[in-house]
Amino acid sequence: MTITSGIDVGSSAVKAIVLQTEGEQRRVLGRAVHRIRGRELADVVSACYGAALAQAGCTRQDVAYVATTGEAENVEFRTGHFYSMTTHARGGLELVPAARAVLDIGALHGRVIRMDERGKVLEYQMTSQCASGSGQFLENIGRYLGVSLEELGALSRQADRPEQVSSICAVLAETDVINMVSRGISTPNILKGIHLSMADRLVKLVRAARCSGTLVITGGLARDQGLFAALRELVAERELDVELCTHEDSPLAGALGAAIFGEVRKRKLERLASLAAAS
Amino acid sequence: MSSPATAVLDADAKAILARCEELYEDLELSAVKAWKAAHPGALAIGYLPTYVPREILHAAGCLPVGVLGAGEQLEIVKGDACFQSYICHFPRSVIELGLSGRLDALDGMIFPSTCDVIRNLSGIWKLSFPGKFARYLDVPQNFDPRIGGRFYRRLLDELHRDLCRLSGREPSAETLWASIAAYDENRRAVRELYELRREEPWRVRASEAYLVLRAGMQLDVHEHTELVRSFLQAVRGRPARAVDDARVVLCGAFCEQPPLGLIRTLERAGCEVVDDDYMLVLRWLGELPRRDGDPLDALSDAYLAYSGETASRYVPDGTAKGERLVQAVRKSRAEGVIFAAPSFCDPALLDRPMLQAVCDREGIAHTALKYAENTGQMQPIREQAGTFADAIKLWGDV
Repeated sequence: MTITSGIDVGSSAVKAIVLQTEGEQRRVLGRAVHRIRGRELADVVSACYGAALAQAGCTRQDVAYVATTGEAENVEFRTGHFYSMTTHARGGLELVPAARAVLDIGALHGRVIRMDERGKVLEYQMTSQCASGSGQFLENIGRYLGVSLEELGALSRQADRPEQVSSICAVLAETDVINMVSRGISTPNILKGIHLSMADRLVKLVRAARCSGTLVITGGLARDQGLFAALRELVAERELDVELCTHEDSPLAGALGAAIFGEVRKRKLERLASLAAAS
Repeated sequence: MSSPATAVLDADAKAILARCEELYEDLELSAVKAWKAAHPGALAIGYLPTYVPREILHAAGCLPVGVLGAGEQLEIVKGDACFQSYICHFPRSVIELGLSGRLDALDGMIFPSTCDVIRNLSGIWKLSFPGKFARYLDVPQNFDPRIGGRFYRRLLDELHRDLCRLSGREPSAETLWASIAAYDENRRAVRELYELRREEPWRVRASEAYLVLRAGMQLDVHEHTELVRSFLQAVRGRPARAVDDARVVLCGAFCEQPPLGLIRTLERAGCEVVDDDYMLVLRWLGELPRRDGDPLDALSDAYLAYSGETASRYVPDGTAKGERLVQAVRKSRAEGVIFAAPSFCDPALLDRPMLQAVCDREGIAHTALKYAENTGQMQPIREQAGTFADAIKLWGDV
């Protein structure tokens, strides 16, 4: 039995997983998500990891491999670091074993990752530097409208006549939203318009990555039911051969993938050490 | 847990690195000016990559100064007027540095035969600075002692005499042997740093080692040797813990240097660069095997026998191409090779397919990228290096 952990440092939140592996059986012992909110990153990482360990009933000494991902290269107590695309692919596969693609929507980027049955990345497509396909953009819009992130999805689904956002640029779209508010457009219709605009960009990535079959959404926006509904609408409208799904642990997929790969790497290092000793 | 003693060593290492970074960023060559002020009448002679016999310059009483371009710190205006758009960035920035007066502290320049662009640069330089010493150093591509050796011995003698005449010194075998000994000592220290990187790479980040080595482009050889040794002592004692990164060899950066940001990006992406070809002049010869007889013969023999392998050196036996790279991979226990070449670098980019074929044959994982000394956008490189490191760690053999 091996205990490993995965820590995913995103641009707005830190996610941590403590995982127990025995043969092919894996069980999440502890999980935590802490928002950064302008605090010192090292403190947030430490608090988040501590919370996940406490939930697992473990100490740092029990953990055989601390795998980081995301912006966590400077976490000093890490054993190793994995690139976030690699970990989201593996985490997504763990959450939805039928999935052969992941749509990771985080605070700054959206990206589609196509993978094989082992979670090995085959192809990816990513939004460019513009943040209009991302959670940070949505959070900014919510702030203008006085709506919390948790409320966005439900409100968006109440829309009857979504207002089209004319620009894909985050800055100009925010101006658009201000205009909509002054024109008396309802909050649900504004939000649905925003969700459709984001979904439009993401669905284009799905097509470009030549995805088919089950596609699992990961990242912080995986829980946004408004965006999920908008994505489903556009996938159906454009007749893509893709079945979208999400999972309650989707925001933790990166941390989960890191913890799984930490265990893989630990075994590999042991094999390398025994080979070196034998030679 | 760090003790007061290790905290002191950590502070020492940080202070050395801060000084090295200052030197790296200083395009005005303040350290060279300070050296000249402390040695009235002495000359500073600039040199370009890949290799010049710095012992000759030193023995003539000159300070050898490595000119490695302006990196990302200087906007190129005049340099663009001298070179076509399909030429690498390095010669533009050398010309820009020269024409903007930033290299005025140098009393001369040596252009070793690295490629056609450097040869053209030497011509443009001679036209731009007609009053200054400038030499195109045609280091031999024939490694037969009776042909290339004879030619190179004569070249070294001529350079030695010309520099001594310029600095008002009498050529002396004794002085030259003393300079050879100083550079042997420097090469030993540099080798120790590379050994530490190979054995305990987490003790010294690749970017830290780079800065310490880069300081050797401006400092007097004795001062640089002392700096490397002090740094080694500090980092061996400071607290550090092993990190499971992918061990890689970097190949292709022997002339135009990658920006420091790129070296740090590779680190952040989980690549531990355990060997490289940055600033090969620091370790081109290894240690000179003999210390008697004629010092010029010794330098020439060492060049013929121990020259490093790089794209600017002709390898007549095609089957031997890439042997040194494979040796470097094996010796450093690297798990892959990153071919990082400057854009438009003909030697590196023409060599690359041959070296990639050797890696394929030997089962060595590899990836390839291009950069310029002023590359600022690191995200694509981070993605490529990060996924390469993961592929090595997770999907490689074993």
